[in-house]
Amino acid sequence: MRALDKIDFEIPDGELFGLLGPNGAGKTTAVKILCTLLEPTSGHALVKGYDVVKEAHQVQKIVNMVAGGERMLYYRLTGRENLRYFAELYDVPRKDVRKRVETLLELMGLSDRADDDVEKYSKGMRQRLQVCRGLINDPEVLFLDEPTLGLDVNIAKDLRRFIRDRVVKQQGKSVLLTTHYMFEAEEMCDRIGFLNKGRLVAVGTTEELKKKVVSGFSIEMLVARLSDETLDSLKKIESVNNVIMTDYEGEAEGEKVQRLIINVDNDRAVPDVLNHIATHGCRVVAVNLRGPTLEDLFMHYTGEK
Amino acid sequence: MFTRVVIAEAVKSLRIYFFSSRTLFWALALPLGNGLYFYFLYLPFAARSINFEFGQTSFSLDLVGFTLVGQLLYTFFTMMLLAGAAFESERWQGTLESVLLSPANRIAVLFGGALANALNYLWMLIGLTLSWVVFVHVNVVIRDVLALFASLALSYLAIVAVGMCLEALFIYSRRGALYVATLQEPMMFLSGQIFPLSSMPRFLLPLSYLLPLTFGLVAVRLTMLGGATMSDVAIPLSVLVVMTLGFLLLAKLLVNYAERRAKARATLTQF
Repeated sequence: MRALDKIDFEIPDGELFGLLGPNGAGKTTAVKILCTLLEPTSGHALVKGYDVVKEAHQVQKIVNMVAGGERMLYYRLTGRENLRYFAELYDVPRKDVRKRVETLLELMGLSDRADDDVEKYSKGMRQRLQVCRGLINDPEVLFLDEPTLGLDVNIAKDLRRFIRDRVVKQQGKSVLLTTHYMFEAEEMCDRIGFLNKGRLVAVGTTEELKKKVVSGFSIEMLVARLSDETLDSLKKIESVNNVIMTDYEGEAEGEKVQRLIINVDNDRAVPDVLNHIATHGCRVVAVNLRGPTLEDLFMHYTGEK
Repeated sequence: MFTRVVIAEAVKSLRIYFFSSRTLFWALALPLGNGLYFYFLYLPFAARSINFEFGQTSFSLDLVGFTLVGQLLYTFFTMMLLAGAAFESERWQGTLESVLLSPANRIAVLFGGALANALNYLWMLIGLTLSWVVFVHVNVVIRDVLALFASLALSYLAIVAVGMCLEALFIYSRRGALYVATLQEPMMFLSGQIFPLSSMPRFLLPLSYLLPLTFGLVAVRLTMLGGATMSDVAIPLSVLVVMTLGFLLLAKLLVNYAERRAKARATLTQF
């Protein structure tokens, strides 16, 4: 099975680059290759000019990775012991170890629990400690593989702000982020790459990508009594560019409701679409007119619903 | 950096292993039970001695002591293999990737784990010695303490080096423990842990002489039970030095190779 197929991208210094794609698209494989945990079967990758296979040792000194939902910490050690241990593995200058550990614990709000065993931490605290571990060697390039997976809304928000403002803007580090959350990518990333079945199908800023594929507006609606015939006929309306039926299934007044996203050229097309649906015996439960979102791009590039 | 990693790893391993005072108690109690087992096993032969030939010299050794030293070093050997299985436990703890993500010298990591286990072993050694004193009246004849210390220390280093070579299996595959367990019994048999090598078929002897445990057993038995001096055990000690260096070099090559293969086969995170 080919996990990645001829992907090619660059991340300049001080950029937060997002890699998006459905499950199994190859996001984690790409991250693991770049931080030397996997070797590619062909091709090559450079991190700060170092080859990830031939100069893996040099790469390991300047990168670090934080993965969501994985352990990567010693549960029988305290938070502080964990960080000191990893500081030694990364050969952090002796005089800096104490200060760096304390600073990171303070930044992530773990100072008051620093001497508790990690097994007593909540999931959110463990994830914050993971971020401390990921920053312990002051990496030039940081890989974040779904870092907010399973975190509370507030903690995830703080973490996103910290990465965006402190790590990228203030310290000028390069960050590669993979995430399933579209709003997270839109909020954090300077540029985005869409990965689908191992291929990088599009790269650019959110605005560039929106201009490339989605024009006009999107009508998002919940519709009851929708048939395949109606769906096909909608696509034939002149001002309609694209029609996507999502996986959403709900219920309204005892009827099954489905969610449609219809991309149209301009707002004048809205009455045509609504009229068309009504004349085909469907019932419109809710309508929302909006500009294109990252979710639309995701569905366009990956074919996911 | 090498020393820093060794110390950090040893401290971490000890902290994880000795996480409570109860662990210390049971680590001491285990060899006491082991000593009791051996006492009753060899009770019928307690008054006998065994003729142990090495080079031109023949030594008369206490039979129970002969077996207990075999058990002592073999326990040590097993522990080194298990500690040596540092990467196996990292795999189970889900921390293997975070260690291999770092630039830390892999041999330093292994050596740190082995050091922690040596300290753990020292604790168990107290238990074993107590069991000897309490249950068995082994006829200990030590004339050269330095020779005994050198024999124990060099045996430790050589065994650790072998453990590091086997460690490559733990990095390479999640079935590492199975492979090592399969190798363990033949090593126990070939090294002469419970019986003298003179009773083993001659055609197997070349294999015995490939194992550092064989020479470690000779050196420790002679210095602990036969009153041998440094000059008596110069040959086995020299062989242990050469073997240590050889196995360390081999370990570095094997561990690096196994890590690269595991990365190519994506087996690092398999549980």
